[in-house]
Amino acid sequence: MGRRQRPPVERDGAQFRINIGRDERELIRRLMAEMRGLLTESDDDDGRMKRIFPAAYHQAVDRELNDEYQRLMREEILSSRLKGLDAVDSFMAQASGDRAMLTESQMMAFLQALNGVRLVLGTMLDITEDHDIGGVDENDPLVGEYNLYDFLSWILDWAVRAVQGG
Amino acid sequence: MSSPAPIVVDRPEQDESVSPDTPWIVLVWNDPINLMSYVTFVFQKLFGYSLEKATELMMDVHEKGRAVVANGTREKAELDVFRLHEHGLWATMQRDDS
Repeated sequence: MGRRQRPPVERDGAQFRINIGRDERELIRRLMAEMRGLLTESDDDDGRMKRIFPAAYHQAVDRELNDEYQRLMREEILSSRLKGLDAVDSFMAQASGDRAMLTESQMMAFLQALNGVRLVLGTMLDITEDHDIGGVDENDPLVGEYNLYDFLSWILDWAVRAVQGG
Repeated sequence: MSSPAPIVVDRPEQDESVSPDTPWIVLVWNDPINLMSYVTFVFQKLFGYSLEKATELMMDVHEKGRAVVANGTREKAELDVFRLHEHGLWATMQRDDS
């Protein structure tokens, strides 16, 4: 997807500019809405969400501490994720033409939200270290999902560069 | 914060009688989904590391499978783990028995 002249995300003074058109913005909004549905409707053992709510204590001896962490922090993670999705939806809705302008804090919400969707999609696709961006067979029944995953990875990578380049 | 050792050394034995102020370490594990650039960025943002230091730590995670990114009391380690989870990194904690 490196066909464009402008990077999809770039710094502009104290702000950030997202150079993507309406269709792609709507696509991102739709994905974020699906993410919201999954966050609010999935139960504790939903395998798709295992990377969103990971264990904090990995040693068997700490199982009780981990249960306690999940009991207390799951809601915190959920509310933090939902707040981020709200922020992204709000600036995406206000964007016009081929660009959206983001403040630093909106940009941080954007990074986390993009990555959150990638975590769920990547888990569902069982992405491995060998995943070749843009290299999925066109006849693969999940080619659409792989393309979405690659699209989000591409934007996220540019977004990180824009933030680090300040 | 202090500079943690880049990798945990496994010890064969663990003391079962752990005192409440035993230090804890926070580990980040390699995973196939998170982008290398994103992991580096999160280390910079959460721990205030320079780009160089954050990149070094990210490479440790990537090449060795995991790295210690922070340490401290259980409360502090738990907060660090929470913030890493908030950012989508695969982080866990354990007692520092090195």
